[in-house]
Amino acid sequence: MLPKTTIEKILELALGRGADFAEVFVEESASAAIELLDRKIDRIQSGNSFGIGVRLMYGDDAYYGYSSDDSEAELLRLTENLARESREGRRPDRLRRQDLDDRHLVMVDPQTVPKKERLDVLRKLDELVRETGSDIRQVDASISEKKRSVLIANSEGLWVEDSRHYSRLRLSAIAEQEDGPQSASETPGILGGWEFFRDLDLESIAQDAGRRASVMAGAGYIDGGTMPVVLGNGFGGVIFHEACGHPLETESVRKDASPFAGKIGQPVAQAILTAIDDGTIAGHWGSYNVDDEGLPAQRTVLIENGILKTYLSDRLGARQVGVARSGSARRESYRFAPVSRMRNTYIDRGSNTVEEMIGSVDLGLYAKKMGGGSVDPATGEFNFAVQEGYVIRKGKIAEPVRGATLIGKGQEVLPRISMIGDDLELAAGMCGASSGWVPTTVGQPTIKIDSILVGGR
Amino acid sequence: MEPEAAVDFVRSLAREHREKDVDLVLERQESLAVRVHKGRVEKVDQSTARGLGIRIVNEGRTGIAFTERLETHALEQAFLAAKENATLLDPTEVVMAEPPADIPHAGALGVYNPELESLTVADLEAAALEMESRALQADSRVTAVSRLAVYRSASERRLVSVHGVDYRQRQNSVGGYCQALLEENGSRKSGSYFWNQRHWDPAAIATVGETATKRGADLLGAKPIAGGRLPVVLDPDCAPDLLSFFFGSFSGEAAQKGRSRLKGKLGQVIADEAIDLEDDPHRRGAGGSSYLDAEGIPTRRIPLIESGRFANFLYHIESARKEGTQSTGHAGRGYTGGISTTSHNLVMPLGNESLDDLTAIPEKCLLVTELEGGAGCNSLSGDISIGVQGFWVENGRRVHPVDSVTLAGNFFDLLKAIRARGNAYQPNLSRRFIPALLVDGLVVSS
Repeated sequence: MLPKTTIEKILELALGRGADFAEVFVEESASAAIELLDRKIDRIQSGNSFGIGVRLMYGDDAYYGYSSDDSEAELLRLTENLARESREGRRPDRLRRQDLDDRHLVMVDPQTVPKKERLDVLRKLDELVRETGSDIRQVDASISEKKRSVLIANSEGLWVEDSRHYSRLRLSAIAEQEDGPQSASETPGILGGWEFFRDLDLESIAQDAGRRASVMAGAGYIDGGTMPVVLGNGFGGVIFHEACGHPLETESVRKDASPFAGKIGQPVAQAILTAIDDGTIAGHWGSYNVDDEGLPAQRTVLIENGILKTYLSDRLGARQVGVARSGSARRESYRFAPVSRMRNTYIDRGSNTVEEMIGSVDLGLYAKKMGGGSVDPATGEFNFAVQEGYVIRKGKIAEPVRGATLIGKGQEVLPRISMIGDDLELAAGMCGASSGWVPTTVGQPTIKIDSILVGGR
Repeated sequence: MEPEAAVDFVRSLAREHREKDVDLVLERQESLAVRVHKGRVEKVDQSTARGLGIRIVNEGRTGIAFTERLETHALEQAFLAAKENATLLDPTEVVMAEPPADIPHAGALGVYNPELESLTVADLEAAALEMESRALQADSRVTAVSRLAVYRSASERRLVSVHGVDYRQRQNSVGGYCQALLEENGSRKSGSYFWNQRHWDPAAIATVGETATKRGADLLGAKPIAGGRLPVVLDPDCAPDLLSFFFGSFSGEAAQKGRSRLKGKLGQVIADEAIDLEDDPHRRGAGGSSYLDAEGIPTRRIPLIESGRFANFLYHIESARKEGTQSTGHAGRGYTGGISTTSHNLVMPLGNESLDDLTAIPEKCLLVTELEGGAGCNSLSGDISIGVQGFWVENGRRVHPVDSVTLAGNFFDLLKAIRARGNAYQPNLSRRFIPALLVDGLVVSS
């Protein structure tokens, strides 16, 4: 991807200008997307991204630059601009290439699949969604694929290359009834190749999206207020991701900008709760072989039986916070310096059934499917939209409701999780933070939160 | 190869392959950012990136591809990929624009200041350190400055078509932002502020620190208020942010694709009769100003709401032809993607009231100064459900800060319920010029 001699010259120049550590990150990505909207192929595009990121560290200070020009002269100029001192430094260690044990195999190379097969998948989905109800007005289905090849080399002699194939489906159904349109979406994805689409249960996905859009189009508005909430499995884990996962990244902790700072070893949840961030699960959307600093992915137990165990860290964060590196350094592309990020993050399974949880609520909300949300990691304040919700009345699921938003503070809501189901499920998503958008998996079994503010009318 | 040579090379490929409808977008971005933490420079990011997007239209079928490698082989591959993609797309009525007769030089828009290019790391570093110092000194309850940076950025964009369109525009800005964290009696709040302009003013940047701290301090001790249907004042930062979740409804393409509730409502009353809204692509110095859109169509002012009535949809060439009308010059496109509908600078005229005067109009109201995300704002249905923070105001006096409440309503109801407008826009570079708004009919939950 870049001549070894060029990388060696960059590292030599960096250390020769006093840097304690230097790193070169080379990335080449090929992406393709095809979209069927309103029964027509609306978009088909492909592209190639390429660039080189150079990072110099002086103690805890990081200097990062990037360029999509791979000429040696340009990259040495970039390194020279980043260098802060003229004092003579040491020489970098000799680069030693590491062989990877690739645990995320691509079974069907997307390049061998004719485009017609992609169109067939999209047309089938369109047809299946429309069959779910006469109120379906619009179907939007797309396939996006990306092959991301990276090379990471550093002044400690590291030289490692990894290749990551991503395959994802996005399906959106719009249903319209008297009170206007409502949409529902399904967005499954894997770290893998075209086998994902061949194995996908298109009927079930179409059914879920179409049914949910119709149900919500016929739903009334929820009366807002503070109430118990039973939060559905799978994408319901987005709340833990946003409200607890981000503040558990050393990128927040190291700046004293996390409500969980300094709380390792302390109880932060009830003893029934264990939460894990695992970058090693084969073929999962948030996995990889090595992180973007070249460290092998790991399984990290964040909270065990309610006790905070550790944080997710990158090189800088681990050193500043005083925890072990967890192989969590990630970046969207060469345009970003890596920082600690989540991978496949989930609340582990418990022992309750969904029926037990619903049955324990006199008046509350069953948030069966969550939409997106956001958090201020510094304060833990979060908000999330409910995509599919129902009132729970006297222990039974009652009428569907729209327009619900869940509001709270992660560190306050976490101890209020009082029941955890046995139906653990993971769901693919995209997470945005200071190093850009990266693929992450969220997940949980169905859980019960004793009280939370629900926004509504 | 050099970017300009890459443009010529793609033109030569078009000739070689006898493709009559080809255009390309070449973009180059540069940025420099300095982040400081606890009195020292923590991160310096500097970058140069470029990319080239190719669009080929063949018998109404559009193919798109891009590359960030500007080398012969990569450019050829991108060209062939665009050509292949064009064979797969369903045909549309898109045609490429002929070059406009005469347009002013983009420099007349006032969106580029060459003086900013000479700013060094040392300049940005000094301003950032001063900003952090001011943030920390402004209040003894500050526990951390969690985010702080000073940056400059520049971009250049060139649109070239085989029909002869060749438009180049440079744009740049400089700015800084700060988030301070404060704590008192168990109440933990963050305060954020930013400054983004096209002139270098280190004194102004430094004040961002103390303003961020003050905004956080003002929210300490916040508590919910009793819920209900209440008058709400959206401050000049929050009003454009909240409304912008729904501006996609003005896209003709969205209406054609069943994604706008404004479909079929041209000429109808959709807002209070005192409300006007227009898109002004030539507003000097504004973030979205341009003489040509991304398809090479000359831009012009387009009224969207006139005296409360829905006046126009925004179109690019394809959506306009579907509707039997002309493009309004609202095609948008980055080098990585295809044509979409975009507004340039949305402008709602100023009202007469200061922010304090607005909050004094109703006996009691909620002044909203922070929006918490937008996931509950549904651009399709217009539904609003969003967490907010701000102040409870009685008789024009701020009684206490407010948090843990949500606002609910619908964008299309909100437009009809605007009772008064503020007399100032938020001061930063922007492409949305919406003043503070006093709105009836939103429901507050707590």
